[in-house]
Amino acid sequence: MADRDREAGGVTCGAIQDGSLEARQNQVYHKLIGVMDPELGLSIVKLGLVYDLEIEDGAVTVIMTMTTPACPLGEVLTRDVQRLVGELPWVTAVAVRIVWEPRWSPAMIR
Amino acid sequence: MEPGDDSLMASPTPGSKALPVRPAAGGSPATAPPARPTAGRPALIFPAILSLLAGLYAGLGRVGWDLPPLAASLAAAHGPLMIGGFLGTGIGLERAVALGRRAGFIFPALTGLGALALLAGLPGPWGAILIAAGSGGLLGASIGIIFRQPALHHATLALGALAWLGGNVLWLGGWPVYRVVPWWAAFLVLTIAGERLELSRVLFLSRGARTAFAAIVAALLAAVALTAAAPAAGARVEGLALLATALWLLRHDVARRTVRQSGLTRFIAVAMLSGYVWLAVGGVLFALEAARLVGGPPYDAALHAVFVGFVFSMIFGHAPIILPAVLRVVVAYGTSFYAHLALLHLSLVLRVGGDLGGWWGLRRWGALLNVVAIMLFVANTVRAVRRRAPAPSVTAPPEGAPLTEAIP
Repeated sequence: MADRDREAGGVTCGAIQDGSLEARQNQVYHKLIGVMDPELGLSIVKLGLVYDLEIEDGAVTVIMTMTTPACPLGEVLTRDVQRLVGELPWVTAVAVRIVWEPRWSPAMIR
Repeated sequence: MEPGDDSLMASPTPGSKALPVRPAAGGSPATAPPARPTAGRPALIFPAILSLLAGLYAGLGRVGWDLPPLAASLAAAHGPLMIGGFLGTGIGLERAVALGRRAGFIFPALTGLGALALLAGLPGPWGAILIAAGSGGLLGASIGIIFRQPALHHATLALGALAWLGGNVLWLGGWPVYRVVPWWAAFLVLTIAGERLELSRVLFLSRGARTAFAAIVAALLAAVALTAAAPAAGARVEGLALLATALWLLRHDVARRTVRQSGLTRFIAVAMLSGYVWLAVGGVLFALEAARLVGGPPYDAALHAVFVGFVFSMIFGHAPIILPAVLRVVVAYGTSFYAHLALLHLSLVLRVGGDLGGWWGLRRWGALLNVVAIMLFVANTVRAVRRRAPAPSVTAPPEGAPLTEAIP
């Protein structure tokens, strides 16, 4: 748990109790840490695949990329994102948008 | 997406058309029929599985097991069924899923139809024509990826597809399988190596490592081309290039790191690293036995070190993550997966040992146990398949917007 908290930028469960936008973003990032690239054993957050979040009321849009357009795991990761982020009690909808710009590079690994 | 597929998928590119989705719970707009989670894909996988089973059966006959012949042409179709029907269709499907476009599924459909034509023993070269057409499609799709993101690893994938197409065209032209096999081997080795290079970028590969990789790819392609004019010399150079590929992968692949993790991630790494050892063995055998790679035990040993030891090891490792991507099921990893991986390697030691030592019984039993290992892999994988928990219902997004899933 401590490692996950560090990956999430120091956000802890205790710090994300309120309903502010920032707190909700942190909660979503915290959930996204649980979405793993199965081959690398690394979180999509750690890999730098998550580019942005859009939150409007309970609707969350995760804007992310893949390391390559040749990777067939886009659907799998999309479903994992939807499942985990959807566990948050205030979330009513989860969208995933996969983008190719900016192009992912290893320098994005956090 | 594939025909009939209405299931959820994020827009593959910015601004691409949003897909219809399932009706939402709780009174949200329901504009699409219920999802058909895997519609179309099993039909495309079916010829690949049939090719695998028929190819293995034919392979047992080829090593001397006295089995009832299912079809007169089956023994000769062992290689085309395994490479084109099974692996080619599987790789084509994987690429089509990645691209997320309906048209991408046409090409594995063509190779699958080609395999069925081979199995049916259709008169004329219909099997070769369809498989060659499918491999051309894979090349086109791979070039499309280069246009989207120019990179060495994408070029390597495309060159692998080019080698497959080249081999298939020669096969269609009437060349015997043993003359075409160097091309097909390059297809699989370049495809896997390109994917591993892509993945291993997380290690921040040095310029020297990348240059060495590019040089090895160039050498492998040059060797394949050389086999067309001078088979023995070409096979010798190809063997050295395969050995160099294996050494590069053993040195630079991220599996060296991920093998220290646990669970599925470690299993994949073990499968990859053990496969690289077989690729090295295959390379050495290609180089040493270059003049005799026309049939018989040295041919059997060299080819199956690459195709069974290297390629099937990769398949065993990646099936738990590729099947969920293609079929939208969950494959629950278990330590029992090491059983089929270990049996594959042990049985291949017996087979190659029998080949090289002239012990025919050992070779036959080794080949049979190869098949048992693959069947055990199928059984263990099927046992591990879980249907995904029903996804929460989703609302149809407006045109051009990302797909949205409503959480009840």
